[in-house]
Amino acid sequence: MGDTTDIKKGTVVRHNGQLFVITSFQFVNPGKGQAFFKCKLKAIGGDKGMEITYKSGETIDTVQVQHTNLQYLYSSGDMYSFMNQSSYETVDVSADVLGDDSKFLKEGIDVVGSMQGEAIVAIQLPKKISYKVVTAPPAVKGDSTSGNVTKEIELDNGLKIQAPIFIKEGEEIVVNTETGEYGGRASE
Amino acid sequence: MNHTFHISKNKSNLELRSHIVRCIREFFWDKNFLEVETPLIVRYPGQEPNLSPMKVDIRDELGKIFRGHLHTSPEYTMKKMLASGFKNIFSICKCFRNEESFGGLHNPEFTMVEWYRVSSNIFEIMDDVEQVFAFVAEEMQTVISNLKLENNYQLPITNYQNSFVRMQMRDLWKEVLDVDLDDYLNRDKMFELCVQKKYNPKEDESYEELFYRVFLNEMEPKLREIGNIIVYHYPAQMAALSKLYDDDPRYAERFEVYVDGMEIANAFSELTDAGEQLKRLQDEQEERRRLGKEIYDIDMEFIESLRNMPECAGIALGVDRFVQVLLGCKNINDVLVLPMSKLFSS
Repeated sequence: MGDTTDIKKGTVVRHNGQLFVITSFQFVNPGKGQAFFKCKLKAIGGDKGMEITYKSGETIDTVQVQHTNLQYLYSSGDMYSFMNQSSYETVDVSADVLGDDSKFLKEGIDVVGSMQGEAIVAIQLPKKISYKVVTAPPAVKGDSTSGNVTKEIELDNGLKIQAPIFIKEGEEIVVNTETGEYGGRASE
Repeated sequence: MNHTFHISKNKSNLELRSHIVRCIREFFWDKNFLEVETPLIVRYPGQEPNLSPMKVDIRDELGKIFRGHLHTSPEYTMKKMLASGFKNIFSICKCFRNEESFGGLHNPEFTMVEWYRVSSNIFEIMDDVEQVFAFVAEEMQTVISNLKLENNYQLPITNYQNSFVRMQMRDLWKEVLDVDLDDYLNRDKMFELCVQKKYNPKEDESYEELFYRVFLNEMEPKLREIGNIIVYHYPAQMAALSKLYDDDPRYAERFEVYVDGMEIANAFSELTDAGEQLKRLQDEQEERRRLGKEIYDIDMEFIESLRNMPECAGIALGVDRFVQVLLGCKNINDVLVLPMSKLFSS
């Protein structure tokens, strides 16, 4: 048993007898009314998605999961393969478990997998991942009122993000995986 | 470099925000409203059971400490001004609420526009809401064309004329759940409904908590579907600082404005009965005690002021969210110079 302070991406909850994993959530406090967490969940071992709204402070039937260190290897089709760093076995995770996070994956990075029984039900990325910049259009000194102060760059895993105009090809930069935003040069 | 990057990345949003705030002021000036400034530090914060005010300690020149709070809204002070003879007034100010998320729909420090009309009711305030949307969106067309933004930038929605649906809470319940809200105005009936819906409510939950379980799980998707909607006539248990209908005291003269499921404003025909207001604040103290929250003394100056307050209606509208809606920004952080998440990120 837990409560709404346990809500995060990857938390496993039991709802009306079935296990679900939280894939995203939003906190809302109307001020003149009840504060709540609006959660998107996915049924474990199924495709069923649903939304549940928990009152802030409410008891939630959270389910303890095992955490295991994984290293990302490669993807093929809808499957993402990781190496379990304790057993050295390869484990496959389907695209829907990763959701939008798959865009941050890069060969060799370490992640944490949440295991429910034998199945990996959620992947937790490092908060920051370093990438090499492969494409960065040259900075154009333009009219600053045009709002032209950032530019789109492409990283070595294909991810495209907005970055400051001074970033050049070949540099190492850091991306914040919670916001998907540029988080500075890797050396800073 | 994170701070300057955040500001640079959102530079056009921030520039447009500045113009939106100017247009809001122009809207109220045109209608002969007076802009007022209230203290951000108050002695007695609001009592709303779900709000957590921020404490602030102030020392005088002798070092004596006074416990104050950053206000959660300018409501009490503005009502004291109305009681002192001010007529239609508005305030654009920062408000502060603790224990809220850093980003998404909230930032612990945010901007509110709050306005009051004397000798008025919620229906005139509804007109204001619809007109301020239409006025600001229209003015922003000119602003945007003068700014010559990149890629022929346009607001996602340029015309808000007649874009709001007005719906009574009772009709919303009828439409979504096919039940008559009149039958669910007491706690036990609402509890039954929550059990039936398998929300697993606890035995000691208040009517308001139970109501919100149903509202958030069942109505909210409908609000998203409708888009721009004003929901009015709340059950009396959720009157807060509003007055009840003379001809049907089971309901309160309160409305909320939702855009795509996001609440952006809350309005009341204001309660002017000092005795009733005192009782409600005492009930809220009790509720805070039950929820294990800090309990604050009641601002008796506020209670007393209600004896002289004219009949009026008022509303608080979140400016950051208004900007989000106009510019189509999903995250409040994208319309703030430096949101809390940037101030405290490593």
